[in-house]
Amino acid sequence: MGPYLQQILLSSGAGAIFAALAIGLVLTYRSSGLINFAHGAIATYVAYTYTSLQSSGDLPVPPLPNPLAPVEGVFGVEILDFPDFVDLGDGWNKWPALAGALAVAALLGLAFHFLVFRALRYQPPLTKVVASIGLMLALQSAVVIRFGGSRPPPIEPLLPPSVRSSTVDVLGTIVPWDRFVLLAVTLGLTAGLWALFRWTRFGLHTRAAAENERYATLMGISADRQAALSWMLAAVLAGFVGILVAPTTSLTPFNFTLFIVPALGAALLARFTSFWVAAVGAVGLAMAQNVLLYAEIDHGWFPDLNLDAVLPFAVIVVAMMARGQVLPPRGAVETGRLPQAFPSPWRPSLALTWVALAAAVVIWGPFDYRAGVTNSMIGAILALSLVVVTGYVGQISLAQLAFTGVAAAGLASFGADAGIPFPLAPLLAALAATAFGLLLALPALRVRGASLAIATLASALAIDELLFRGDGWFRIEGNPNRSFDDPSMFGVEFGPTSSFPINGDEIPTPAFGLFVLVVLVLACGAVIRLRQSRLGEQMLAVRANERAAAAAGVNVAGVKLAAFGIAAFLAGIAGALNGYKLGSIKIDSFSVLANLSILAFAYLGGISTVTGALYAGTLFASGIGVVLGEELIELGRYETYVAGVALIVTAVVNPQGIDGFDRQQRERVKRWLRRRRARRAARLTAASAAAGAQGPGP
Amino acid sequence: MSAASRADGAGAVSAASRADGAGAGAVLETEGLTVRFGGVVAVDEVSLDCRSGDLTGLIGPNGAGKTTLIDAVTGFLPGNTAGRVRFRGRDLTRMAPHRVAWAGLTRTWQSLELFDDISVRSNLDVASRRLTPLGAVRDYLRGSADASSVDQVLELLGLADVADRQPRELSQGRRKLVGVGRALVAGAALVMLDEPAAGLDRAETVWLGDRLRSLVEAGYDMLLVDHDMSLVLRVCDRIHVLELGSLIATGTPAEIRDDPTVVAAYLGSHGSSR
Repeated sequence: MGPYLQQILLSSGAGAIFAALAIGLVLTYRSSGLINFAHGAIATYVAYTYTSLQSSGDLPVPPLPNPLAPVEGVFGVEILDFPDFVDLGDGWNKWPALAGALAVAALLGLAFHFLVFRALRYQPPLTKVVASIGLMLALQSAVVIRFGGSRPPPIEPLLPPSVRSSTVDVLGTIVPWDRFVLLAVTLGLTAGLWALFRWTRFGLHTRAAAENERYATLMGISADRQAALSWMLAAVLAGFVGILVAPTTSLTPFNFTLFIVPALGAALLARFTSFWVAAVGAVGLAMAQNVLLYAEIDHGWFPDLNLDAVLPFAVIVVAMMARGQVLPPRGAVETGRLPQAFPSPWRPSLALTWVALAAAVVIWGPFDYRAGVTNSMIGAILALSLVVVTGYVGQISLAQLAFTGVAAAGLASFGADAGIPFPLAPLLAALAATAFGLLLALPALRVRGASLAIATLASALAIDELLFRGDGWFRIEGNPNRSFDDPSMFGVEFGPTSSFPINGDEIPTPAFGLFVLVVLVLACGAVIRLRQSRLGEQMLAVRANERAAAAAGVNVAGVKLAAFGIAAFLAGIAGALNGYKLGSIKIDSFSVLANLSILAFAYLGGISTVTGALYAGTLFASGIGVVLGEELIELGRYETYVAGVALIVTAVVNPQGIDGFDRQQRERVKRWLRRRRARRAARLTAASAAAGAQGPGP
Repeated sequence: MSAASRADGAGAVSAASRADGAGAGAVLETEGLTVRFGGVVAVDEVSLDCRSGDLTGLIGPNGAGKTTLIDAVTGFLPGNTAGRVRFRGRDLTRMAPHRVAWAGLTRTWQSLELFDDISVRSNLDVASRRLTPLGAVRDYLRGSADASSVDQVLELLGLADVADRQPRELSQGRRKLVGVGRALVAGAALVMLDEPAAGLDRAETVWLGDRLRSLVEAGYDMLLVDHDMSLVLRVCDRIHVLELGSLIATGTPAEIRDDPTVVAAYLGSHGSSR
């Protein structure tokens, strides 16, 4: 019992940060109706700002876009140079450093509200989720760019040494005193927030605005101002607790950013309404995690499945299954539209041109271009899977990349271990991914919108932890040599190392690129066909209005299941191709953050059209767009950051993504041409009329 | 005034002609239908019917439970509903909404609830056929079959010229017709119209009433829910009156107009003293 009690009490550091994030999530949801996936990233950024100010007096400046970068890249000169840090003297004392970091937090909260989320107030949940994911990626990668990602920085604890070094004896267990302080601070902050909402004008106004924004506005309450204040408050809270617990909870950009998952679990338990339930839930979750972690180490019989990391997922799923649509609705109007799902007309000449171009690059292009195009084509198939599930049916899935992992591992099992031949093994692998996709669709039958995003995010985490790490089913970790043979059919090999008459000695050889191209064309055709079929029509109906679709005889659950299944199958195909490309499986490629950036890129390309998926493919990690970007502006380590910022801008300015922007411009040019032609015709007729009038004259 | 009395006369005549066939089978019957939200009883032991060949009216003041009754019948309130719903000899009680539609009972919404980002034709297409998993695969492989029923309804409602536009581009009146069309195409045996006249002006309401009448003549059975007394009295064959969740009267327009409880419910004490 002793060690378990100790584990429970030791968890209060994690409990404090989970709780601070959870009550911050509740606060921003209640005041602005938005679930901020970037909340953990805000805590990360503020904590790093504190360490930087405290240790060297440097204030980090987020990477700013350099408009001259292409010019500089081409000519190899440096014209404009934004500082990485503003030097504010030597290392600060910890209290001024804390004040400075919290001021930064407040500014961040304010900026996010006014620059991003205010503009998205009336947008559908997808747009909001995407924007907050963009923010999360941007903040997280800003920290990585400025401070490096792997090692926790030295951090000066806020608590005085006397508190930290003294211990207490609880029922025979020695526990550091500071753990109780952390617990007390957490509960104190929660009580404060609760009291603020309960008894002050601010709280009353926020509650009124959440209940019915329109009436509250008519009563003279500015919902906007309430939301701005809440954003600042939430950011300061997260930052403060982040700094407080950083010495005892390893502070890395990844860890802290992902604390959002358990915090979301706790906030869901509280239905994004009660501060107390959220805080207590978060603390309890941290305790349970520590106990599970200890049990895995302590008992040989206890499976090493990272159950502690899976726990938030279990909590989220149980909360959702038990309560159905968990988020209380807000009295706000939703006027924004989802990106339009244009049908793709079949234009053979255009398609053939692109196919020929891709084939040409794959065959004759230089090495990195060849690899880039191949990666982009695989990425486009993955993006197509999101077009189906998110673009057509409006269900936010943050787990598509996890399905590619399942398929890659499946390919290893079916192809390499069981020796099943080529076309069958990857198809079976994709079907394995489909099975997981259908499993994931179950929460989608109960919840939608941002809740579903949370559920899928948690599932991605659970799949990652359960399947790929530790004793997980696929045992990839510590078993890196699971490799597979090149695919072949009728005696022709078309893997990355297969021979090819041209450029056959360089890996990946054109044979593989052409193979991927064929699969991509098939996948595009399949999705275009889907959009035109009855099932596709029903998908769009479900996206537009679930209730009305059901009343019109659409089996909403069935359509959702179909969409998740098809999407997971496509993701599985992409995963199998990726497996062939690498020749073995790497686990890092399926991590949760990577999952998030997949949705980000797909949205950026254009989430609801096949063309958009092709654009998205060029943007993916090591895709052709990145290869070109590297050439022109030395994108390199800024890739994720740029993607995050671009995603926010897209969500705010142009939810249609690149594809929609492109369509707009083409429409504009067409309209201009039409007008010009009409003008010219009018001039001509006027001239001829004038001539005619003159002709039969006197 | 003369227009109103002429309309009333027409209503009375058609009601009289129906009255002979009172034995004609009920398409829809509810038995003790009750809907509870927590402690609130929104629909209280309502037993009513819609007969084949009729335009049935369901009226009642705001908050009488009309829309709740439609929601319950069409399967949207499975957790809150008690009692039975029988439709063409089938028991629809607690059936899922899409199965209710498959059974031939469809509805429109007061707030329209159209599929705003697909074309008018697609709005109807979606509803025009039930899609089984196998059917979906077959359709995917072979392409969509006939759309004649959709074209027919578009023609009937005068929507053919806007079939390829999106609903958001149409006038409110035509948007309502898209909703009606969507309810009609699925081979519906009974369409429940939830306040189709809301937001329409006098002339539009009269026009809508005529359209509904002609649909009934064309063989569709309908339940018209509205609180516009004059519309319902003018076009319906039989009328049910709800107040505070209970059924307070049933009868022909003439009977309903003279029913003191209905007058009281609608006009309060002033009405009854008039």
